[in-house]
Amino acid sequence: MIDPPLDGVQAPEPAPAHSADPAAVPPPAALPEPKRTERPHPLTPLIRGWVVSLALIIGLGREILGWFTESRPLPPLQLLLGGIGGIAVIAVLVGLASWLATRFVIDADELRIESGILLRKSQRIAFDKVTSIDVLQPLAARIFALAELEIDIGSSERVKLRYLTRARSYSLRDYLLSRAHSHQAELVQAEDPGLRLGDLSAEDEVLVQIPPQRLLVGAVTSNEFIGLLITIIITVTAAAVVSPYFGGPVLVLALGVSAISGIGGFVVRRLTGQFNFTLSSRPAGLRISRGLTSLTSQSLPPRRIQLVRLSQSLWWRRFGWYRAEIDVLGMGMRNEEDTHASVSSVLLPVADHAQMRLVLARIWPEADWESIQLHPAPFRARWLHPVAGPFLGLGHDGLLVVSRHGWLERRWDLVPHARIQSVRIDQGPISRKLGLADLAFHTAGSRLHPHAYGLDANHVLERQDELIMLAQAHRPDITLASATGPAVPADQPGPEALRADQAEATISATE
Amino acid sequence: MDALFRPDGEWQRLGDVAVVSHRVSSLVLNLLASIGLLVGAWILTSGDLVWVGAAAVAAVAWTAWRVIRIGRWIRSFGFREGERDLLITHGLWYKSLTAIPYGRMLSVEVTTGPVSRLWGLADVQLITASHRSNAQIPALRATDAARLRDHLIALGEKQALPL
Repeated sequence: MIDPPLDGVQAPEPAPAHSADPAAVPPPAALPEPKRTERPHPLTPLIRGWVVSLALIIGLGREILGWFTESRPLPPLQLLLGGIGGIAVIAVLVGLASWLATRFVIDADELRIESGILLRKSQRIAFDKVTSIDVLQPLAARIFALAELEIDIGSSERVKLRYLTRARSYSLRDYLLSRAHSHQAELVQAEDPGLRLGDLSAEDEVLVQIPPQRLLVGAVTSNEFIGLLITIIITVTAAAVVSPYFGGPVLVLALGVSAISGIGGFVVRRLTGQFNFTLSSRPAGLRISRGLTSLTSQSLPPRRIQLVRLSQSLWWRRFGWYRAEIDVLGMGMRNEEDTHASVSSVLLPVADHAQMRLVLARIWPEADWESIQLHPAPFRARWLHPVAGPFLGLGHDGLLVVSRHGWLERRWDLVPHARIQSVRIDQGPISRKLGLADLAFHTAGSRLHPHAYGLDANHVLERQDELIMLAQAHRPDITLASATGPAVPADQPGPEALRADQAEATISATE
Repeated sequence: MDALFRPDGEWQRLGDVAVVSHRVSSLVLNLLASIGLLVGAWILTSGDLVWVGAAAVAAVAWTAWRVIRIGRWIRSFGFREGERDLLITHGLWYKSLTAIPYGRMLSVEVTTGPVSRLWGLADVQLITASHRSNAQIPALRATDAARLRDHLIALGEKQALPL
């Protein structure tokens, strides 16, 4: 499909963006020509109005369901529809005003976004501060072949440009990405990739693809699902017992309906969020693409991964399945439920043993966590950790620290030495009586907190120096396969140079 | 089991000024809270002297306990400038030992509040890429704090580890 012409071009001459190499032809500084600024796509207010109305309808729908169960009279239908329509019109009008007020410039010199109706805001972003770029396609925008561009500059708030045509989004992403790598690049008009369920190009090597059946089975055998089921059974039973005295069968019915919708919602969210989950390998790193209603794909430079947590629910132990989560440096990570079109922390939603090993080998080629000898927690640790006791353990080799813990959900925290910022030994009053101690590893991630519980205090004491030294990186980079020697002298290559080298590899993009 | 949290080496402790200043702050804060509690008890029980008396006893006991404990906690605090890392230990019931390699430090902050400035004290905070490192050395003499900061920064620059 062909890129529709962009609205709001101010400069009289069209000045195509891909006309010349900006490095070769520097812009004339003497003539401050009016900048070519762009507006987002003209359909934007309509889509945003639609999103508001949809939220409204869903919210009102819940309210009305509530009225049904409380058997209150319904307000007249005209009033309801009129209200929704009115609010939708207002939303579109507000959207229109904000669309009129939004302009942006992305050219060889600057990245600037102006927005705001009452409070005018002009935001100029340094190209090299861009840490990641996402192209998101929510359902409503997807219908019109539009997409949202989200720019992460490491601050708490992401810069959003919505909505642009899909082709424009991709070309801007590619341009910003290469500028972020401090290359001079030219803005190329990208082909519209069209409506796709996956996001694979020729250079991708698919490592893992999770079929929907596996996702479904994984969802209904997850601990969350079982927990939900147990809660529902208890509540409905309790309601059935109470109902003859209070509320009658309506109570049971209402609870049952909401329970079923809740449980169905959980499975559907898991399924649609991770639908067609594909982990592939590109020269620049790993790439995850997933999602049914909104396609998300994110690229994942292995160097940014701070730790991997493998987990296994009760049932998954039997199947030998693993879930792998990661904590990543500085990415605006959001919730764990990974359903929205956003960056998520899930590396593998449901993977078998071979797939898990394959992916870990791609991230840390020389590390093999399963060969690491774990020191189990002593028997007396079961006083403090009655269920997890037999499972607790800690071990390390030259590259990784492995901690095993968790009772309903078994977990393995895999932390490379090079990512540990500090180590802490803890002991509470009961642990002291039992002769136990805990360890905590501090990493730069913000979501997962790797730790080891219930260790033998004497054992910790014996190996104290060794454990404290865990935070010292023995090798500068665990993500490389090529052995550069076991220990690089800290002063020779210059640590600053190393840091600067790595800056580039830590930039990621999501589309 | 003390060796677990105090491995051999030259440990530095906080001075008596730190103990006194923390005791005074704790006393003031807890007394203010106690007054609030007593007023609340007075209003709730509409002046029942038995209850207010009980609350007063509890408040005084709690204040005394906190004042004693905070002193002991400060005395339990120690830090050691090792060859490659800074060790910090503290805690009475919940003991902990934190090791921060100099190479992991991103910056070192020295902070003083209005109260600690009266005592001529300052806190030193080590910042690493992890917000959970929480490596703070409280209540050093301001000159010592500045010296420590410069020393740590110098060590950190020499031993920097790649992120």
